[in-house]
Amino acid sequence: MPRIRLTHGRLEIAPAYAELDDPACGGVVLFAGRVRPDRQAGSRVVRLDYEADRKLALRSLEEIAASGRRRFGLGKALLWHRTGPVRVGEVSVIVGAAAPHRAQAFRGARWMIDRLKSQTPIWKTERAPPERRPPRRPGPRRGRSAG
Amino acid sequence: MAGTVRIVLFATAREAVGRGRLDEAIGPSGIELAALLERLGTEYPRLRRVVAVSRFVVNGAYTTSRDVHLKAGDEVAVHPPYSGG
Repeated sequence: MPRIRLTHGRLEIAPAYAELDDPACGGVVLFAGRVRPDRQAGSRVVRLDYEADRKLALRSLEEIAASGRRRFGLGKALLWHRTGPVRVGEVSVIVGAAAPHRAQAFRGARWMIDRLKSQTPIWKTERAPPERRPPRRPGPRRGRSAG
Repeated sequence: MAGTVRIVLFATAREAVGRGRLDEAIGPSGIELAALLERLGTEYPRLRRVVAVSRFVVNGAYTTSRDVHLKAGDEVAVHPPYSGG
């Protein structure tokens, strides 16, 4: 599996960890971002819809990984991001850094996720069900004359 | 040669216009990006606020200048602030 991905499919931690396997690296840091059930105008968010300018986003992820490897001496760097609808609780992004020592791996992973959020053309839109109004209580009957 | 410039809109830019692509007619002398954005802002007033904070990609390359000259067949992508992660 490539270490740079933009995919409609689910993201799983185990294959990401396997991608970062490097005998020279004693530290592996994996960050997984998940969709939170935030509130939006009285309703709870049920999913996020992600879209990307695909070609530029892939280029950006490649550049971030290459810079991350160079700046922090990472053995391997991984950036995976979902597109399309992602439900609450599902993983929307995985960033991984493998380095000889833990400090490099932590710093590299942190730098790469921050960079992704500010530099990669990906957008999310919150989706929540419409606000529910309490059912109207029946009022007193009016206007009907007997007879 | 007269023709069209394609505008590709993402996220809040698309929502402001109501669709993801526009083909804007231009004259034989072309048009500057700034003038094109001004025209779009008149046609789609909700787009103005989005454009004010967006980045622009012309034929696949980011541009920092709104003076860039566009000709028929060019493509401009409007990138509102990113929100991945």
